[in-house]
Amino acid sequence: MDSCDFRGLTSRRRTSNLKNYFVGATPLQKRLELVRRQNSDFPSPSRRKIPQCSQLQEDIDPQKVAFLLHKQWTIYSLTPLYKFSYSNLKDYSRLLSAFIVAEKQKGVAVEVGEDFNIKVIFSTLLGVKGTQRDHEAFLVQILSKSQSSREHREDKVLWTGWFCCVFGESLQETVSEDFTCLPLFLANGAESNTSLIRDWFQKTFDCCFSPLAISAFNLSWMAAMWTACKMDRYMATTEFLWSVPCSPQSLDISYAIHPEDAKALWESVHKTPGEVTQEEVDLFMNCLYSHFHRHFKIHLAATRLVRVSTSVASAHTDGKIKVSLNRSN
Amino acid sequence: MKENVAEFLRRTILKIPLSEMKSILEAWDFLSEDQLQTINLKQRKDYLAQEVILLCEDKRASLDDVVLLDIVYTQFHRHQKLWNVFQMSKEPGEDVDLFDMEQFQSSFKRILQRALKNVTVSFRVYEKDSVWIRVAWGTQYSQPNQYKPTFVVYYPQTPYAFISSCHLKNTVPLLHQALKVASKHHQIVHLDLRSRHLDSLKAIVFREYNQTCENYSSTTSLQEASLSMCLDSKITHENTEEKVRVHRVTQETFGTYPQPQLEFAQYKLETKFKSNIGGGLLADRKEPFRCLVKFSSPHLLEALKSLAPAGIADAPLSPLLTCIPSKKMNYFKIRDK
Repeated sequence: MDSCDFRGLTSRRRTSNLKNYFVGATPLQKRLELVRRQNSDFPSPSRRKIPQCSQLQEDIDPQKVAFLLHKQWTIYSLTPLYKFSYSNLKDYSRLLSAFIVAEKQKGVAVEVGEDFNIKVIFSTLLGVKGTQRDHEAFLVQILSKSQSSREHREDKVLWTGWFCCVFGESLQETVSEDFTCLPLFLANGAESNTSLIRDWFQKTFDCCFSPLAISAFNLSWMAAMWTACKMDRYMATTEFLWSVPCSPQSLDISYAIHPEDAKALWESVHKTPGEVTQEEVDLFMNCLYSHFHRHFKIHLAATRLVRVSTSVASAHTDGKIKVSLNRSN
Repeated sequence: MKENVAEFLRRTILKIPLSEMKSILEAWDFLSEDQLQTINLKQRKDYLAQEVILLCEDKRASLDDVVLLDIVYTQFHRHQKLWNVFQMSKEPGEDVDLFDMEQFQSSFKRILQRALKNVTVSFRVYEKDSVWIRVAWGTQYSQPNQYKPTFVVYYPQTPYAFISSCHLKNTVPLLHQALKVASKHHQIVHLDLRSRHLDSLKAIVFREYNQTCENYSSTTSLQEASLSMCLDSKITHENTEEKVRVHRVTQETFGTYPQPQLEFAQYKLETKFKSNIGGGLLADRKEPFRCLVKFSSPHLLEALKSLAPAGIADAPLSPLLTCIPSKKMNYFKIRDK
């Protein structure tokens, strides 16, 4: 535990030094510093605030948010978008759908008159952000237009993706105003469509996507914070999946805990009001390891955590997440 | 041949991989050697199926004949089903009857047919020591569904039977009744043992898995084994003694024979939460800590065997894990004493 305290202190001290440094620095200098910071062994925060409900939530369109739930999203990190403008969403819709149609027709002998019935829609996702200073999230959908125009059937959604920024002001500080920071991109739908969209964004906004893996370290943070969430009702167990790299046969261990019991354990571990600390997350996981070891004599800490899922959400180390339920207030 | 029988035959042929077509048709033993010779095995499967159907029409194949082909196919692909293990018992002091295969079959069939009007029951004796039973279920008003049958593998003169997972839950008691009565037992219980590997289940219940080189634990061979282990790694271990101990304990626990193949084990734990860290967290909580632990692997017991030598588990491993073959269980409920 001592080493954790030490690491926490240094990280906080370093952050304040950086803040002093940033005063009066040009965006380029800030950006260079950010890159250096990321390349150096910069520890993850040793404590995280439990977000409280804010007035931001009033902006949220419940229908749109409901649309984001219960879907599996593949996540990517995204560099800042150059010259992206929220007032041009209509143009982007048109340009992107033309791009997709052109790409899909490439090398394909198309019958005259055949129409690729595809429509792209950009729209903002109000309120999906951490602070007022974060940029608005936005949603991109590929729809297939219904064939029979007489019936007013709904268009079928073929692919959905969204771009968002939550508590990202430190990123925004490091870039000039021409850039929009939406560092997280989430996609649901055929891989081929995701790669088309990525191509178009890379060409249009000079940005770069990279697949985002979730480390075991972050998975345990998620498990702890989601277990801590108050829910109206618990639908699912708190489940951990470990993969054991043993030869010649692989072994998966799933450890599913009754949500009420997981919550009880978390409450006995959690002491700091308003925030969650690294010590608490470590203790929570170590307690689970210890209980498991008592029964099976297996050291889970020596294996690889690959997935956590709770009533709130689930996340897989290969960068797939799913949010199931809203927090109750 | 009726249209539905031809269709059933066609779909069964389509299921069979081309590489196995010849051996399965031969094992079926319905078409003659000469007829089999005429079949072109190098054509598209739907043409091949058509060719087989024509040959079978000449021989006036009945539903029963085609059902036998389905049994042969399932015997080849028995790992595609999930098998449950059942143990039967007689009243104490009851004599062991001599087993009569014909009597068993007619009694089994009669019980099912009396209860359900529409049911197809077929048998195939396999490798002399077991009988495969295939049951296709219908209802009072509908013909048996040949595409979702239940398979029972019974070893005569033993209390054990293996039944493939059945989608019709209400037919299960009837099946148990037929099996119990036909094999002249009084009780049948479902063991908490399931796997896709029928042969491994059989090895576990008949304790056949440790028959080879059971007494391999002489000190000389152990030392040789540990010595070669050190040479291999080209690293001098400070804890050689511990390595040798782990190796020895693992061998004592699992033996040196290949483990029977299971794909999973499941433990429902309802025990008091105890952790030696954090200073007695949840110690005052009366309720048990409820969790469900599932282990899964293409070859579970071999994977478990490798844990302690890899430093991932203590040696010896928990009896909860090592008792699987001896207790004939891979589903457990664990409570505090």
